[in-house]
Amino acid sequence: MKTFFEFLVFARYAVAAQFSGFPDRRILAQQLYTAGVGSMGLLTVLTIFAGLNLSVQSYSTFQRFGGQDFLGMFAGIGGVRELYPVMAAIICGARIGANLAAALANMKISEQVEALEVMSVDPMRYLVAPRLWAVTLALPLLCGYANVVGITGSYYGAVHQLGLDGGTFVSQLEQFVHFSDLLVGVGKGLIFGWLVALVACFHGYRAAKKEGAEGVGIATNRAIVHGAVLCIVLNLFLSWIMYG
Amino acid sequence: MKKILESLEATGALAVFAMDVVRAMFSRPFFGGELFRTMWLLVQRCLVPVGLAVAPVGAVISLQGLELFRMFGLDRMLSSLLGTAIFREYSPALASVMVAAQAGSSIAARIGTMRVRGQIDALAVMSVDPMRYVVVPGVIACAVVTPLLNVLTNFLGLFSGWVFAVPLGGVDHGAFMEHLTAQVTPADLWVGLGKCLLFGTSVGLMAGFLGMRVSGGAESVGKAANDTVVATIVMILVVDYIVSYVLLGVGV
Repeated sequence: MKTFFEFLVFARYAVAAQFSGFPDRRILAQQLYTAGVGSMGLLTVLTIFAGLNLSVQSYSTFQRFGGQDFLGMFAGIGGVRELYPVMAAIICGARIGANLAAALANMKISEQVEALEVMSVDPMRYLVAPRLWAVTLALPLLCGYANVVGITGSYYGAVHQLGLDGGTFVSQLEQFVHFSDLLVGVGKGLIFGWLVALVACFHGYRAAKKEGAEGVGIATNRAIVHGAVLCIVLNLFLSWIMYG
Repeated sequence: MKKILESLEATGALAVFAMDVVRAMFSRPFFGGELFRTMWLLVQRCLVPVGLAVAPVGAVISLQGLELFRMFGLDRMLSSLLGTAIFREYSPALASVMVAAQAGSSIAARIGTMRVRGQIDALAVMSVDPMRYVVVPGVIACAVVTPLLNVLTNFLGLFSGWVFAVPLGGVDHGAFMEHLTAQVTPADLWVGLGKCLLFGTSVGLMAGFLGMRVSGGAESVGKAANDTVVATIVMILVVDYIVSYVLLGVGV
């Protein structure tokens, strides 16, 4: 409970820092590159398999009552609205968020943050704000990329492995997946990215010097778990508001 | 080129490590107290995150599935989709991902910290095999705890799906239950538990392996914790797909 209030206080300062002027361009570009391009390989592998699995798995379910022709619709809507944004968020938490938390915690225990303060550089503006911006901007892009890769995976699974008709699959995608679904999915990515980055920065920033190497491990662990859980729970409420 | 060699080296080292763990698992001395302590710790740590991660998924499947099934007037059939999806797919995969995120990364960080502080070497000096005392309890605990958590999350996922289908979605309760019991077989449950056993073991192995490979300072501890999570998530998704495809071919 105390942690939660500390988080709120941290979020207040972080948001204030995020929206006070343009962050340092060099750091922003560097962070954007590590967060965005650095995650693409991992995200590609994961969404290909998630897409394939979405096809194969729902095929075996739909087969039980003879609905396998609706696989395109199911794979499209389920993927674009729910699965790929959440996947992108979990990957973001597990890779980008954990890196952020580890890097900040390491700076904290080696007193680099205090050194910045002594030089009258605000660590919130210099360290936290560019990272928040970078992840918030990178995740919607990753999300759109995951949509493309995942649907390709689903198509391959449905047509080449399960022997469904490719034309039916594509026409169902066109008919049932609207542009608004894509927008909502990518919008979810924006929110998840900001949240994951905020949680990761919070846990990284909270590491104390006396915890030593252990503190870095704890910060990484908490950043991953809290980020993923928050995104999954928030996703339910977002979907409920949008589609319920 | 250097990267390829490095990854090949890591794969080979992982195989050797896995053999060592298996050998240590089935030979004396055993550290039962350490094993139960680790298991209890894992249950305490993972219960809330795993529950919180899986429960919303059942609700989301109901929410989206209901809309799709309504187009064809099939909303009574929703529970068969929900049941198979939760039992076979989402509960095992998500429970294992969360165990990897919570338990895997904390085991890797703990072993890595012991390594950085020289405690692993100290154990070896006292002629306590660090493999038996530190790594094996982690592996067995992950392998046992993941299926146990999966049993719980099956019910949680099903319940949250029911909440969104019956009271909030207006599906008839009798029809929901009837399709659930008619379409979902015990085989679905066993498939899910088997997956969990497999994923749990590999979470423990990967955490122990990367934890023991830590060298240097605090930064590499964070990196080991992070790499454990990423590697096991990739493994879980890839193996999950292969298992689904094989099962579809076999017809289970």
